[in-house]
Amino acid sequence: MNLLDIRNLSIELISENKNILAVDKVSLIMKEGEVRGLVGESGSGKSLLAQAIVGVLNDKWKVHADRFHWRGVDLLRLSIAERKALISRDIAMIFQEPMACLDPTTTIKNQLAEAIDTSSLTGFFWQKQRQRNEAAIKLLHKVGIKKHNACLNSYPHQLTDALCQRVMIAIALARRPILLIADEPTAAMENTNQGQIFRLLASLNQLKNMSILLISHDLENITHWTHKITVMYSGQFVEAGTTEQIFKNPLHPYTKALVDSSPSANIELPAKSRLMALPGTIPILQHLPIGCRLGPRCPRAQQACVQAPTITSFHDHKVSCHYPLIPTKAKRKAIKEVC
Amino acid sequence: MLIFTLRRLSLFIFTMLVLTLLSFSLSFLFPGDSIINISGAINATPAQLIEIEKHYHTESNIFWQYITYLHNIVNGELGISMASQSDIATEVLNLLPATIELSLVALFIAMFVGIPLGFIAAIKHNKTTDNIIVSVSMLGYSIPVFWLGILAILTFSINLGWLPSAGQISLLFEIELITGIQFIDILLSDSPYKWQAFSDATAHIILPACVIAVAPATIFIRLARTSMIEVLETSYIRAANAKGLTFRQMIFRHAIRNALIQIIRHVGLQFANLVTIAMVTEVIFSWPGIGRWLIESIYQRDYTAIQSGLLVLSCFIFIVHILTDFIYAALNPLARGNKYGS
Amino acid sequence: MARDKIYLEEIFPSPFMQLWQVFRKTPSAMAGLSCFIFLIILAVFAPILAPHSPIDGQLDMLLLPPAWHPDGNISYLLGTDELGRDMLSRLMYGTSLTFGLSFIVVITSLIIGVVIGSLSALTTGIKSSFLNHCLDVILSIPSLLLAIIIVAILGPGISNTVWAVVIVLIPQFIHITRYAVKEESRKDYVLASRLDGASPFRILYYSIFPNIVDRVMSQATLAQSAAILDIATLGFLGLGAQIPLPEWGATLANGLDLFYIAPWTVYLPGLAILFAVIVTNLVGEGIRHSLKLRKDK
Repeated sequence: MNLLDIRNLSIELISENKNILAVDKVSLIMKEGEVRGLVGESGSGKSLLAQAIVGVLNDKWKVHADRFHWRGVDLLRLSIAERKALISRDIAMIFQEPMACLDPTTTIKNQLAEAIDTSSLTGFFWQKQRQRNEAAIKLLHKVGIKKHNACLNSYPHQLTDALCQRVMIAIALARRPILLIADEPTAAMENTNQGQIFRLLASLNQLKNMSILLISHDLENITHWTHKITVMYSGQFVEAGTTEQIFKNPLHPYTKALVDSSPSANIELPAKSRLMALPGTIPILQHLPIGCRLGPRCPRAQQACVQAPTITSFHDHKVSCHYPLIPTKAKRKAIKEVC
Repeated sequence: MLIFTLRRLSLFIFTMLVLTLLSFSLSFLFPGDSIINISGAINATPAQLIEIEKHYHTESNIFWQYITYLHNIVNGELGISMASQSDIATEVLNLLPATIELSLVALFIAMFVGIPLGFIAAIKHNKTTDNIIVSVSMLGYSIPVFWLGILAILTFSINLGWLPSAGQISLLFEIELITGIQFIDILLSDSPYKWQAFSDATAHIILPACVIAVAPATIFIRLARTSMIEVLETSYIRAANAKGLTFRQMIFRHAIRNALIQIIRHVGLQFANLVTIAMVTEVIFSWPGIGRWLIESIYQRDYTAIQSGLLVLSCFIFIVHILTDFIYAALNPLARGNKYGS
Repeated sequence: MARDKIYLEEIFPSPFMQLWQVFRKTPSAMAGLSCFIFLIILAVFAPILAPHSPIDGQLDMLLLPPAWHPDGNISYLLGTDELGRDMLSRLMYGTSLTFGLSFIVVITSLIIGVVIGSLSALTTGIKSSFLNHCLDVILSIPSLLLAIIIVAILGPGISNTVWAVVIVLIPQFIHITRYAVKEESRKDYVLASRLDGASPFRILYYSIFPNIVDRVMSQATLAQSAAILDIATLGFLGLGAQIPLPEWGATLANGLDLFYIAPWTVYLPGLAILFAVIVTNLVGEGIRHSLKLRKDK
């Protein structure tokens, strides 16, 4: 059974003049125990997608989808309160700047204790307190913080960024979630800290069979840690497949450009030559192109790209393009999927 | 924490020096003889004048005169009032507690009404409740306080007869002056009519305190609203939302504390505004406080009284300002200025 | 032959024009602005528009109630006071005193305060922290108290009141200019100008001032409402405008003795002050609201 089954999710920004489709018909399917990467430039709507799944968007965004299932339960049919209760029990999220996501006026101990499920504690008041403390210490050990006393009694601004991120992961683990959504968890960190956090996430995935949705803008960085990758551009679904398929054999021009722009692909370039990159920048929300939003920048764009492309699938490697970069042999075995 | 205290203390001493300098220079700026201005002895004979001159060291240069002035203040000698020829220090000590009582009651009313209303307005941002609260608060902010006082007396005292309009307590009760703060004095006195006196004093204080509290309450509404709106948009509230806390828990446990921190800082600043309004209100309600005394001294051109009154009032305001700084530092760990490593 | 525009040009309005466009869309702010302009016209043209003289009273028309009362007279639209002076004319002349003078006061203290504030913001180190402390001290003395002291030194009278309120408002402008300039000079565009070799005054004038104008303007409206209230309060206490001058606070104090028989002499000046302050606050709120919206766009 699929863990998360989203089909054609769209997120609209409601403003006085006209509604802007920030996320346009994105599909995402996750299975248990897999680490999925969601890659895209800043402005591609990946954070919005994650927030829509968890349900923390405010009133000016409207979310609709054809299918939004969590472990077989249709979330669109539940009321908002039920949806929130179901999701907060099973899905946890960690955010981009960990220090800003912790309340600056409460100690770590209180914030950790808040997240611990009170129904699992038994006994009288002081016994519950002791159990809560022990649970907090255990959580900190799970994320690899050994000096738990110093950590528990300090305020967020007294810890480093990497420590704060670990504390956030500990808070997320407190409810024993099945899916952990990591929204650019290491965006503002040095490489050594990034490695630590990713190793922690990988160990959680292997040991506890926890699925992880890893959102990032750096394709090369996360290829080491993910099983499957979905690529988004400017709110539209671009490509999805296993890591190896995406990296070795990108079908969409955008994915190819992403892969080509990474440093390892550029090693064999002769000196003083241009780095390979697509011209132009991501379109702003006020001026979104119709049809395929990569159209104005795409080197392979033609007249048909004014219509939004449908998703084609080659051996579970999905791509949404009118002119994907497929070798001719595979063209004959293509299966068209009607959305 | 120690360094914080020391810095605040040094700021306090610096301010006191500047304030005493200001009031010292006033004796030269006011029309009339500076000696008479500083001592208050209008009807002094020439012999007494020579005495006074020696006392204030007028023959030496200005610096020594200033030091003598400081010396006198520290000893508690503020001169004699030109109008009543009585010692200013004792008069001030009798009147200041009444003003403190009135200002503090007004401050608490303003805080307990203004801050929750501001929070409610922020939580229901951009809906009808928010717009109503903001419009009413703008009205309250724009009313001239003396007009409001007069209207309040007209409505509540004269037309409805609910509340008395002048004085601190009815003249029938004879409460001894112990601390000057009416409520404490009532509790400490051994009059048989304690509770009636208490309720009478409460009735007397309600109207002036509410009139004073209107303008600061509207400022608190605005401050609380801005602060809470800002807090509700931060990342940690969003993260707490994702953590699965209910809205109520989030507000009461995290949002209010963070929003209050921003507000407490401004409470100290608002106090100066409040005391100014209190001065005018004391005149209208004949409240026996230092504000009314100061304004009457200005009518009577009692320069010594004006000098000392200014000094005492500014000193009081500044002390309250520093106290709120301390409370702010106690609540907000970030303001204490210590950073530990991890 | 006229040519149609084929390409849609993007017109990028200047920040001030953006502010004005957002301001125009807020109905309460526009209402406030139109009333504000109405008050300014009234203040300037009061001698021409007022039906009667504010100082000479008709001794046979004492204490007439306003025109909608059965005893009232239509030629004295808002009634008369105890010396037979027409309330309407008194209020109109009072506009030029209370409102008009507050406007002049604010502009004067704005200019002086901004100049001193920006010059002092250029200093650093001990001089700067000393100035900071001095400013803190002066700001902690309540403004009315300071104004009363200055009036006590100079003596009562409307010109002394004006000077007193100017002196009292200057520290607020100094403080806000200092804070704004210091904040802006930490930003990168000022660093870029400085690296280009611009002198401090040039940086101040060309780079920083256009960016702090909006904050100074919103402080100016706050200062104006404070100035109106201060001038009126000083007039009420008898320290400001002296007897025949129809300043609103003094008119209110005059009517206080006859409150029971002629309540309109107290209501009307108070309403006038309330109206002027509300209008100023509406304009100020409109500016602050537009600033916030402009930043969000």
